[in-house]
Amino acid sequence: MSNSLTTSANAPKGFVGVLDYTVGDQAAPVLPTVYWLMTFVALAAAIVMVFAWTPEERSMGLIQKIFYLHLPVAINTFLACLTVFIASIGYLWQRRLWWDDLAAAAAKVAVVYCSVVLLTGMFWARGAWGVWWLFSPRLTFSLVLWFLYVVYLLLRSGIDSGQRRAVIGAVYGIIAFLDVPLVWLSARLMPDMHPGHVALAPAMTLTLAVWFVPMTLLAVGLIVVRYGLNRQITRSLASSSSWDSAESVATRAMETVGGAA
Amino acid sequence: MLYSLRQIFLLVGKDLRIEARSRQTIGLVIVLGLLIVVVLGLGLQGQPAADRSGMAGLERQVNHAGFSATAVLWVAYLFAGVLCFEKTMNVERTDAALAGLMLAPLDRGLIYFAKLISNLVLILAVALVVTPAGVVFFNFDLSAGLGSFIMIVGAAVIGFAAVGTLFAAVVSSSRLQGGLLAMMIFPVSLPLVIVSSRMMTGIFLEARPLETSSLGILIAFDAIFVAAGWLLFDLVLEV
Repeated sequence: MSNSLTTSANAPKGFVGVLDYTVGDQAAPVLPTVYWLMTFVALAAAIVMVFAWTPEERSMGLIQKIFYLHLPVAINTFLACLTVFIASIGYLWQRRLWWDDLAAAAAKVAVVYCSVVLLTGMFWARGAWGVWWLFSPRLTFSLVLWFLYVVYLLLRSGIDSGQRRAVIGAVYGIIAFLDVPLVWLSARLMPDMHPGHVALAPAMTLTLAVWFVPMTLLAVGLIVVRYGLNRQITRSLASSSSWDSAESVATRAMETVGGAA
Repeated sequence: MLYSLRQIFLLVGKDLRIEARSRQTIGLVIVLGLLIVVVLGLGLQGQPAADRSGMAGLERQVNHAGFSATAVLWVAYLFAGVLCFEKTMNVERTDAALAGLMLAPLDRGLIYFAKLISNLVLILAVALVVTPAGVVFFNFDLSAGLGSFIMIVGAAVIGFAAVGTLFAAVVSSSRLQGGLLAMMIFPVSLPLVIVSSRMMTGIFLEARPLETSSLGILIAFDAIFVAAGWLLFDLVLEV
């Protein structure tokens, strides 16, 4: 009885602190199963919708259906990049390592999503224009974005020290995001074939809107899971190798002296 | 303000004096630039092979060679530049010179400006040797748009050096492998390459005047990354 009482009293706190709940010392599930169930159901519904219900486009046919995956993933790529930028600034401002863990998680998801954008875009281009690749504005933009965040991940993997990796990652994360509008402006000078504004039938618009749900849920879910993992790694490193803390150095020195005596 | 300028002047003087006495960078970089021009020149030689007969064909070929000459020169500046950035920061690694520099009573942003200027001077030296070589090898008339060429390359190289100087400090202070520097600089600098190559196509291939809106993008790039470098340089050095 009392148990249910405490639960209901604590419920709002637990709900607000999803991220707190994720980072227990035990390997607790990072996100509630309900979340993944929702994502799965939304994805299944979206897939059924796109193949069974949405009308086929007249001139392009089946290949046009890639679009429902392509656009939501592209938008979410951009949101993930924005998260890297905000987390980088947050780290340089507060110097808390959890900001860095968030930036790394978001960058990883950004790279995966950007790869999906590039691949789906290439299949579309093959179907619609007859070529796999053209150096046209949006394609170039996505490719440069992909390079920027792949380099971000490579850069991080090359640095051992957590603190240094966080500072350098943050600096690069800021520079990379500052570059994004410039890449966009410069790419616009190229001859364009990519559809800019697409007029859609109402059924198509609805399908597109539905596709945003699973793709966004998946992106947020992946970022949160990866963040939880990064948190655990950071914590275990901090507790196992406490080289940095002066206290432990003093303790070790005492032990050495004690051993020698 | 005047005091800061004097400090920058002293730091640049130090860098250039070290370079003048050791000549460890400039020789290397100039030879690399010349090699890039020659290698790419040889690679592009067979390119417009179709339709060689007749004056029109020859003219088109020369025209085309002119366009690729600007691209080749550009690539030579970029790769030579990366080597310059690496070398000017590596100077500080020997004998813990960087620690001395950080202990000096200077605003660390000024160190960034000084390194930036030293790098620009070195790239200018490379350009003065490599550009005539490119003109000769490609038999190409740069005088058609010499002013525009200098303006485009100048604006682009400042932005490129602004990014490169910051990242060279990152690589040098965290002892990453050298290959990583080029990998960090090129994706960020791609807007410069895109804009300048579009502008050079316009000027040398299509004989159009310089587009101010495109030049504006180059200048915006310069302004953003010089400011970002100045603000972030301090953070990079401290780790």
